[in-house]
Amino acid sequence: MTQAAIDSTVPRSASPWRRTWGLVLGWVGFLALWAFVSRFVLDEFILPGPTKVGAAMWEIVVEGQFIDDFAASISKTFMGFGLGALIAVPVGYSMGTSRYWKAFFHDGVVGAGSIPGITYAVLALVVFGTGFLGPVLAVAFISMPFIALSVAEGVEGVDPNLVSMARAFHRSDTQTSRHVVVPSIAPFVFAGVRLAFAIAWKVEALTEVFGSSNGVGFQIRFAFQAFSITNVLAWTLLFIIFMLLIERGLVVLERRVFRWRTWDLTA
Amino acid sequence: MTSTATTTPTPGPQRRGKVRRALTSDWAARVSFYIAVLLGWQLLAWQVERMPAPWETFDFILRELAGASHGGVITGEFWEHFLATLQRFSIGLVVGFVIGVVLGIGIGSLPFIKSLLNDVMLVFLALPAVIWAFLTVMWFGLGWEAPVYTVILSTIPFVAVNVTQGVRAVSPDLHRMSDAFKVPRQRRVRHLMLPALTGYLFTGLRFAVIIGWNAVLLAEWFGSVNGVGWRSRFWYDASRYRGFVGWVIIFIGFIFLVDGLVMRPLQRKAFRWRDGRAGADQAETGEAMIDTIVAAGV
Repeated sequence: MTQAAIDSTVPRSASPWRRTWGLVLGWVGFLALWAFVSRFVLDEFILPGPTKVGAAMWEIVVEGQFIDDFAASISKTFMGFGLGALIAVPVGYSMGTSRYWKAFFHDGVVGAGSIPGITYAVLALVVFGTGFLGPVLAVAFISMPFIALSVAEGVEGVDPNLVSMARAFHRSDTQTSRHVVVPSIAPFVFAGVRLAFAIAWKVEALTEVFGSSNGVGFQIRFAFQAFSITNVLAWTLLFIIFMLLIERGLVVLERRVFRWRTWDLTA
Repeated sequence: MTSTATTTPTPGPQRRGKVRRALTSDWAARVSFYIAVLLGWQLLAWQVERMPAPWETFDFILRELAGASHGGVITGEFWEHFLATLQRFSIGLVVGFVIGVVLGIGIGSLPFIKSLLNDVMLVFLALPAVIWAFLTVMWFGLGWEAPVYTVILSTIPFVAVNVTQGVRAVSPDLHRMSDAFKVPRQRRVRHLMLPALTGYLFTGLRFAVIIGWNAVLLAEWFGSVNGVGWRSRFWYDASRYRGFVGWVIIFIGFIFLVDGLVMRPLQRKAFRWRDGRAGADQAETGEAMIDTIVAAGV
């Protein structure tokens, strides 16, 4: 969502050349400010400068241990995601087709957005302990409402005229769903998945912070307990960069797959 | 005898239709959702030893609220912790909101600042609140500062992004028309900028409330000596899970009430001019609803 929110507000008038300059200048300015504050305003220990954090990031990457933690975090995120989608698709479908189920799930789906993330993390810990099931189910729970809502929206958006035309021309049910229903639902589902992902990985990391024996969240917690501000920042930034790249990749993929649409959900 | 016979007639087709309509009404569907949740919770409590049953948890909440004994020397301390958290939350929210609005207006109205901060903002939006909690706890130690600063730092980017969108939502045609008719700046702000911005301000405030509440709880969990987050952790560390789940219900209940009864109606009202009456009803599924859960407090 963050990506989409930013994308839609990019000034259309600014030339790409000026935008690139602004971007570079923005980062240079930000890093310079960070370095200045850490050296002259605060203390290197309170706020380590960008070079120190960068060196720590480099060390984490070179040491190679990060691959295990990243792999653990990402596989938990995707497993939870898959599980969430498995439950959310039928829920969303019934919400889109029946008034009763829409009302039934309404409060749960709308309320889910305002439940603090800490709830998922600590309840997963209480119910499942520090194993790997906790983060997976926390991700499944947080991603369900997004995916369900997108599916419901997609189902409601299926053009009934197209469906009755397919019937009139004696197309089979499989043909109708393959060529009419699925293509009109798919973009909504994809948009929902992209939105859910932006939240899901944060909840995954948070759950690992509270109780886990591996993963990026575990490393952040470890650095916090060792009182190493440098390492907290290094692990966090590495993880954020990685996840923003995946989100960016999802947007690119979405634009490519749904190029045939006249409208764009990524904007 | 005959009177009872007349008041409870054999269920004719009309009567059955009525019962059926009542059972399938939206209201009944929503009630059955809550019943299903309670049943699911009870099932979970049977399966998982650490999970307390609903009635145990509600008994705990009542004791905590009334200041009664929890079966020992420990007594309920609801108000002390709740008010401490509420105070930190409100201070952080106000400061974070004001800074976010100023930043958002700056980014929205000056394209240069926009291109400078576009990417940096993306990273700040992606930063989970727990990182701010860790950093502020390491910076300020245990006390009131860490929760307040965590709320401020984690709400600013979300408010700023919404206000930026609001500033950019003002139609450039109307700006040009105002130029042509030489509308004074004051009237332009009053009749052009403010109406366009109001809805986005409320959306930003609503996101800030949701995100800030999660942030204050996290910071108190890791670095405080009282407050809702600390009290939850107190029960968790004591392995008294009914106390812990009781507090989870309390802090979810609080944000549900604030969001459902105050923030969401305000947001809808502020956007009424844009969505219209039909729009407000349509928003029940649709993009607007997804938009409202996008903020999810993480």
